[in-house]
Amino acid sequence: MDLLAHLLDPWFIGLICGGTLMGIVFGAIPGMTATMAVAVCLPLTFSLGLVNGLALLLSLYVGGITGGLVPAILLGIPGTPSSITTTFDGFPMAQRGEGEKALKIAIIASVVGGLVSLVALYFFAPVLAKFAIKFSYVEKFLIIFFALTVMAALSKDMLLGIFSGVLGIFLSLIGTYDITNGGNGHTRLIPPGMDYWLDGGFALLPVLIGIFGVTVILEEAEKGMPRGQSLKDIEVGPHSRFSFSIFRGQTTNLLRSGGIGTFVGILPGVGGSAASILSYTAAKTTSRHPERFGKGEPAGVIASEAGNNGLTGGALVPLLSLGIPGDSTTALLIGAFALQGIQVGPLFISQNLDTWNAMITAMVISNLVMLVTMYFAIRWFAMVIAVPKQILYPFILMMCVIGAYTINYGIIFDVWTLLIFGVFGWLMVKLRLEVAPFIIGFILGPSAEIYFVKSLESFGDPFIFFTKSWIAAVLWILIVASIVMSVILSRRNQGDGAMPT
Amino acid sequence: MNISRRTLLTAASTVALLAQPMAAAAQDLPRNVRMVIGSSSTGGDTYQNASILADALSDHLGVNIRVDPVGASEAFKALARDSRGTTIMMHHDQSYLQELYGVEGSPDIFAETIVGPTISVNPGNAYLVPADSPYESMEDILAAAEAGERVRVAIQPGGVSEIGFTAMRNAARMRAPGSEENIVAVNTGDQADKNQAMWDDLADVINGSIQANEQFTQMPPDDPTAMRFIWITATPETLNQAPEEGLGETTREDMLTFAAPAVSVPMTDEEDFTFDKEFFLMFNPDTDPAIIETIDTAMEEIYAEGEIQDRFLSSFFTPDYRPMAEAQEHLQSKNDDYETIISDLKPE
Amino acid sequence: MDNLTRVTIDFDTSHLIFPTIIGIVLALLGLAILIRDRRAIAASPQMWATTFRDMDKPRFLGALGLTIVYFLAMVPVGNIWPNSGYGFLICSVPYMIALGLLFMHRRSSLAVGSMLAVAILAPPLVWWLFSEIFFLTLP
Repeated sequence: MDLLAHLLDPWFIGLICGGTLMGIVFGAIPGMTATMAVAVCLPLTFSLGLVNGLALLLSLYVGGITGGLVPAILLGIPGTPSSITTTFDGFPMAQRGEGEKALKIAIIASVVGGLVSLVALYFFAPVLAKFAIKFSYVEKFLIIFFALTVMAALSKDMLLGIFSGVLGIFLSLIGTYDITNGGNGHTRLIPPGMDYWLDGGFALLPVLIGIFGVTVILEEAEKGMPRGQSLKDIEVGPHSRFSFSIFRGQTTNLLRSGGIGTFVGILPGVGGSAASILSYTAAKTTSRHPERFGKGEPAGVIASEAGNNGLTGGALVPLLSLGIPGDSTTALLIGAFALQGIQVGPLFISQNLDTWNAMITAMVISNLVMLVTMYFAIRWFAMVIAVPKQILYPFILMMCVIGAYTINYGIIFDVWTLLIFGVFGWLMVKLRLEVAPFIIGFILGPSAEIYFVKSLESFGDPFIFFTKSWIAAVLWILIVASIVMSVILSRRNQGDGAMPT
Repeated sequence: MNISRRTLLTAASTVALLAQPMAAAAQDLPRNVRMVIGSSSTGGDTYQNASILADALSDHLGVNIRVDPVGASEAFKALARDSRGTTIMMHHDQSYLQELYGVEGSPDIFAETIVGPTISVNPGNAYLVPADSPYESMEDILAAAEAGERVRVAIQPGGVSEIGFTAMRNAARMRAPGSEENIVAVNTGDQADKNQAMWDDLADVINGSIQANEQFTQMPPDDPTAMRFIWITATPETLNQAPEEGLGETTREDMLTFAAPAVSVPMTDEEDFTFDKEFFLMFNPDTDPAIIETIDTAMEEIYAEGEIQDRFLSSFFTPDYRPMAEAQEHLQSKNDDYETIISDLKPE
Repeated sequence: MDNLTRVTIDFDTSHLIFPTIIGIVLALLGLAILIRDRRAIAASPQMWATTFRDMDKPRFLGALGLTIVYFLAMVPVGNIWPNSGYGFLICSVPYMIALGLLFMHRRSSLAVGSMLAVAILAPPLVWWLFSEIFFLTLP
């Protein structure tokens, strides 16, 4: 069957539309993720056949990554892990009455990021895969290190911020040094008597929704549930009017973020959430107004959303040209291929040209469907704000429980993690510790450990980090630039008589 | 509203009513069964085999069976908590190998669970070298080790991925005592890490699988990612059951040239080492024997019908049903064989 | 010269390397904060006193307590009907009602009614979707 036949097949198109919509809903509900949407629909693909099955799964993926921006902007609760950085600027925008504008910016940035990555996927997949395998433990560690430097840039108070970030790394190391990632399977840092519960450590998703979702609700409860914004507040702020002129001067940002997202997707093991963190770091480092980031800067929203959607195409590169998934969602796609008895590996594209073309087409259509539906559904999304808190918050808590319990297929400790980190997040705010660097440290901690220890283990030389390759040298330049920028920025803030105690 | 005696009674009888089907079904199988598996991935071979079996069992017995990929550690915990037969576990040889390798927190499955029937085999466990490697065969590798050359083998420690490596060292020791020290492990994680270790020139040999690595063996030899099979650990009996056309461009006949007896990695003076990655069930030790019996019989009937075999074969797995008693004996003897070579190689 | 910079990592203890480094960095940063912010830290009992004075105690502690009870109850209730997800279903409804009533300011009949409708309809719908359609395990 050739491409035209697929395009005329109502099933193909219908599954893409349905998949995208369902993906958006999954992404938009805190606690549900794109990975989960793909996981629950995986068994369906057996009866749908390869091309239609993949069309469904890929559009769930595209929709799921994008849907996360809605609660990130409107409630400050990221719908999926990869939309964390969207909350940094999207939520402040919504709070000052620019919710609608922020949503539109985010949606357009998402589509651009998605399409950039598809172009990269379609034209350069084998070349990019060849480049990606040049990244050994050393280069991967440096990438993670670069992403970690954003902690400094995001901190309001440099010392407290970095402390929070390092604390995040520290807590992420609790439990087993995972054998499947290359560790030795020994446990560490577990408080006495907690071995039974903590040998697997704290799972990322419950920590995340605990610290964003549950903390927000606890804080509101503490304040006695003040009346929130009404629909009017987000529509008519002083600068609420959206126009495409916002994107003037943002072309570089869009392309760079989409490109970074794509590239992070291509590197197996670096992890999906790193995509938006890195593109956000890069945007802030190169911006002429870095001080506006974190306070409602549209460029931050653009970087984050173009970055996480860039991931969608990128993560398919290693899957389809090396047989290695680029993130947790694409790992599930291997299952879909296996169900149909199709091998993925370096010969996949040349042996399955039809399937390959159909996959790309499905993703392009899915991006367009996503653009149209989200753009016109903004008003509906915005109604979330109008739902009374006594209904919204219990509902969110219940969905968080489902999300936490099902993320690892039924582990009750993940539900408790939700509450532990909800309370912990509340304490952090009281102690003036900073949530954003903490969560970035928590996300990146395990990869930082593996790549750092493995670099030393394999090369036996601490200077390898500087001498490994030209890629390492380039990464060091980026790292230094990011750190210098953060220091200058914090000096400038202090010069303004901003903070110090 | 006051809570009257009547309300309480109604509540109590509702609960009793709802609980009834459960009590009635105690002899048979519970209505909702949870099959926890020792892998946390829904894309891997453990999940695929578990879902093929779960589908067949739930059709045959008319119960719901959910497959939950919670990972080995959580799966053992879930199994230990539930003796009602509502939780069963499915895993492969990793479950006893990790205990033999001393991985922290591994239970002794023969003592702490009831080992149930075997299900299927993934015949894919393999070792590969770069296409331009000087090693043409396992013989070359053992000879190199004997000649004092260091051979680095990328594995994921503590289980299925390590057992072939242990066998290589054992063979080296039998050939020239002391030469096993030249076969060294490069401890990596998943398949991506192992491949990467080869491409970074950190490993001379990597553990892999037919399924994940076959396409790399078909790349032009000058491609930097190209690989060659050097050893497939499955038994010839298992490989002979695989589809004749093999997988991808590699036929069954090709595969047999990399496996025993064509490739010999001796385990004892008479016997070659082989390893079949077998999937099997485990039950909580206090489970009602009637429930276990029901499942074992159901499996026997399912395999007798013959449809499930095609599903395994079409995904490149080999059907391998052994009734419970036979399976226990078989796995115990596998365990004992491997225990011997693992403990022989332990540093003093 | 080469030997001077060489490090050998013992795989069996490699799980402690990174936590040790991070632990030391964390301790140093903590120390720096202690020194720099010693006055603010000394004033912290007062901060907590203010926090608890200004807190809407019934709502905050109530939400916390209800959530703990909800989590505690889910598993034993679910255990009565294994793997059916009823524990989640049965516990979620009263939890949502109680939390809704707690968070509500004016308990007008409209507000209570709409809250009750959601609290009674949402859990079964969600349960049906996840447990029966998506076939996921719920407590």
